[in-house]
Amino acid sequence: MKYFSASSVVAVLVFGLLFLVPNLPLGQLGIPSNLVTELLILTILALGLNVIIGYTGLLHLGIAGVYGIGTVCTGILVTEAFPFQQSFVITLIISTVVTALISMAITAPVLRLRGDYFALVTLGFCEIVVTVLKEFEHITGGKKTLQNLRPPLFPEFLSSLEQSLDLVGKWRIFPIFYYICLGLLLLIFLGLRNLEKSRIGRGFVAIREDELAASAMGLNPAKLKLMAIGIGSGIVGLAGCLFAVHSTNTTEPQVSFTFNVSVIILASVILGGMGSRTGMLVGVLLLLGYDKIGTRLLSDVLSQLPDKPYFKLSSWRYMIFGLVLILMMRFRPYGIIPEKRN
Amino acid sequence: MYRLLKLLAIVGICLPSVGCPKNSGSNKIVIISSLPRTGSAKGQTDTMVNGIKMAIEEYGGKIGDFEIVYLDKDDAEASSGQWTASAETANAKEAAENPDVMVYIGPYNSGAAAVSMPILNEAGIVMISPAATATGLTKKNPNNPDEPRIYRPTGKINFCRVVPTDDVQGPIAARFVKEELKKTKVYVLNDNERYGEGVANEFEAEARKLGLQVLGSDKINVSQQEFGALMEKINNVKDGPPEVIYFGGTTQSKGGQIAKDMLKKIPNCIMIGPDGCYENAFIESVGKVEAGKLFVTFGGKDPSALEGAGKEFVQRYKQKYNTEPEAYAVYGYEAAKVALEAIKKVNKKDRDAIRQAVLGTKDFSAGAIGKWSFTEEGDTTQQIFTVSQVKDGKFVPYKEINGAK
Amino acid sequence: MDLCLFAEFSFQSLSQYVLNGLLMGALFALIALGYTLVYGIIELVNFAHGDVFMLGCVLTYFLCMFAPEYPTSLIFIPLLLLIVPICCSLLNITINYLVYRPLRKAPRLVPLVSALGVSFVLINVGQMAIGTSPKSIQAQLLPSETNQSSANRETENATRSNEASEELTRPRRSWLTWADILLIGTVIPAMTGLALLVKFTKIGKAMRATAQNPIAARLMGINVEFVIALTFALGGIFAGLAAVVFTLKITTIDYLMGYKNGLYAFTAAVVGGVGSIPGAVLGGILIGLIYSLGAVYIGGAWVDACIFGTLIILLVFRPSGILGTRVREKV
Repeated sequence: MKYFSASSVVAVLVFGLLFLVPNLPLGQLGIPSNLVTELLILTILALGLNVIIGYTGLLHLGIAGVYGIGTVCTGILVTEAFPFQQSFVITLIISTVVTALISMAITAPVLRLRGDYFALVTLGFCEIVVTVLKEFEHITGGKKTLQNLRPPLFPEFLSSLEQSLDLVGKWRIFPIFYYICLGLLLLIFLGLRNLEKSRIGRGFVAIREDELAASAMGLNPAKLKLMAIGIGSGIVGLAGCLFAVHSTNTTEPQVSFTFNVSVIILASVILGGMGSRTGMLVGVLLLLGYDKIGTRLLSDVLSQLPDKPYFKLSSWRYMIFGLVLILMMRFRPYGIIPEKRN
Repeated sequence: MYRLLKLLAIVGICLPSVGCPKNSGSNKIVIISSLPRTGSAKGQTDTMVNGIKMAIEEYGGKIGDFEIVYLDKDDAEASSGQWTASAETANAKEAAENPDVMVYIGPYNSGAAAVSMPILNEAGIVMISPAATATGLTKKNPNNPDEPRIYRPTGKINFCRVVPTDDVQGPIAARFVKEELKKTKVYVLNDNERYGEGVANEFEAEARKLGLQVLGSDKINVSQQEFGALMEKINNVKDGPPEVIYFGGTTQSKGGQIAKDMLKKIPNCIMIGPDGCYENAFIESVGKVEAGKLFVTFGGKDPSALEGAGKEFVQRYKQKYNTEPEAYAVYGYEAAKVALEAIKKVNKKDRDAIRQAVLGTKDFSAGAIGKWSFTEEGDTTQQIFTVSQVKDGKFVPYKEINGAK
Repeated sequence: MDLCLFAEFSFQSLSQYVLNGLLMGALFALIALGYTLVYGIIELVNFAHGDVFMLGCVLTYFLCMFAPEYPTSLIFIPLLLLIVPICCSLLNITINYLVYRPLRKAPRLVPLVSALGVSFVLINVGQMAIGTSPKSIQAQLLPSETNQSSANRETENATRSNEASEELTRPRRSWLTWADILLIGTVIPAMTGLALLVKFTKIGKAMRATAQNPIAARLMGINVEFVIALTFALGGIFAGLAAVVFTLKITTIDYLMGYKNGLYAFTAAVVGGVGSIPGAVLGGILIGLIYSLGAVYIGGAWVDACIFGTLIILLVFRPSGILGTRVREKV
């Protein structure tokens, strides 16, 4: 029964559950459905980060900045302020590629740095990206954000298909967009599974375990690292694109794409287990699910308590992510569902 | 492969059950409010929510056959201390998806309104804001020709507000500088946000028109922790130093710190801010200050200046909550009253009918601030502003100005 | 950037900006010492250090509520300079004991991630203590600047009423405020003290030995864990001193200030060469100048980008910093 490892059963179960989510009476449970979609998008984001941190062992602290590049790229391609006005499918592809390229270009010169310096440099990049997104407001929308991102699903020559499927304007609404995100998540999940087994994926792991030994075995660490950054950033850019379309604007860079967001995503990746896809899926859904949906539900319960900041769950947000990081590092550095190691 | 097949099988089982229709046969009408309930604006939104609750109680929680349910949603996050786009989006989408929601009261911040307006516009829900003042939300705005069209993807108007707008607020501050303070040299700062920049530009234009000497204008960097260097620069500006600094921005965009550094470096200068600074957090972050140094304009009357129904409202509020109502309590009450009267008139659970009824409000006097109407764009005809000064650690009304031209 | 700025350029204002930059730089250097000492010994970028500084500011804010009226308050300042550093160093020792100590043998990135976690926890503590909006110190501890300058102005107005009246309406430029004097009076003794401690005492020798080679140091009979704890304590003391001076100089605090000032300080440490004490001072001054002059001549929004750009360029081209020595990667 080689095919039924525990983690694959868990993965199948998780995806099964996610497929069922739109059939739950979300409204009666008090769960805003858009948060469920956002959760999926963040899971894709975390999977992208996992390629960089989990597989290759590069501690990238600026992932929120990369996410921002993807989001704003989509904004620029879609908004009516610019002459592009592309459809969703095209935007998705371009955002993914552009984000990967930009991220590779800015990370390439610093790849040879040691782990902790690399972490700080990526953090610095994130701050610079946020400043650029904030200040070049004629292009990026700045704090006023690019508004009204409502692309058609398919490019013009396929618009009849969109009409015949009766998706015009509807595909961005809850169940359909949710399934688009879920489909992409599943695609990426399976893609990463294949990547792990490929030559490149094994190269990533080799670099993580021992860079010197890997290069002695004839691998090119710089090239492999750059590849990991490219693939990871591409997935993050795709998540950014989904995020922009989902929220119909690019949101303020100084809130959505800062260091704090990077650390929050990092915490979820670490909770699930670096490098393990299934663990990640569970970790991200648990932690971010708590953060996005759990706090909202529980806050209604807690509203009976006196109106003090420490009775508000959302006030404990940083504490929870911080404790997750500390405790996981101390007791289970390889996550709740660790990756199989030979 | 085996696993993949299994997954596909699950997909196959799940798909047919997707998209079951929603039922909305209940006789509940939900009024949802989306205001920053945590963070620095909490004091203001508390009184607004109290005002809304009082309005609903007046109808016994029931209009016709419909039970009125009120949901108080937070569009701020405790960890950021102010509204966030994601929380506001979540609230708007939640309202759009809940078939019982007929009216959306809020938001408090103009930036938040820009985020939720398109979503609610598509859902056809009417929004009544008790505080958002940015001009472009309803009117043509010279700084951004796409406004307000981009907020209305369906082309219908769904946003209205019971407070006057920044194209009145900015000029009123300029008039106040010239006529009341009798100063001539001004310097304009803004926080480079939708609201702050807009109101600062309106102020600057009017100041030039009135013949005040505008020594310069700057955008501040909100993430900076102090503005000593900027104040040094302003103090040394040509023909300076300025006698008045106008800051277009909010408490969250460092209004308090600007005031503080100004008082430190240019002690003779006076600062005027818009209603975004009308928060206790502003005073807290300034610290001790003598009277007559800091002024804040806000749309509406101070509760102490109300007459008739308004005075009665203030008394009832005091009885019920045992505190003096803040200025915004009245506007929360007013917004809820407009909504409830519209529901009463329509007596149907129909978003579009209620929207039309709200926007068609004319000569409305059921509230607390006297008689007013909505214009075609959804703005109030009430144009009264109050200038308050910071005195003994709180805002004290200084002068009421009518902005009607 | 644009012409009008050059039109306003004057030597007098430039000197004021430079002075302000130097003072802020001294403050950053004080925080940077905490990074540089810890990194020198256990090669950990102690992310939480900036937030220890923030909590020091929060403590100062609360203590200032009990401050007496102005003239007596001058006695209160040394008290602050005593209590806050002790609390900060105790906090730092506790963090080291609870979080970093069990991870000594873990791969290098593990304690770094824990430090991020500690930083988040401390931010949350600060947020609980003072809320999310910035808070201002109400009490007046130092002699007032504004009264003094306006008094000067009035007397001058009386004596020289006609000439250069425009110049007189400007508030008199106070080159050094009392807070600045306090800053100088704190930074210089603190730095000198540290330099002497490291150079001339036995424990300083033990610290240097541990920094060079922890295993060899242990074999020589040095209690390495004690040296590490002492390093954290020293870092905490400097963070506490910086916190008191910063709070009295800037007089506004908020719960996110630790992250930003921490990063400035870390950049300063890297610029000067991590592990080098004079390097931290030099780096601090450089970053302080960028911080102050950048805000005026480049634009406030770009200050952070400039500082982080400096960090990146330095790490790429000279990771050992200006004064640091090149360390080869150990295998």
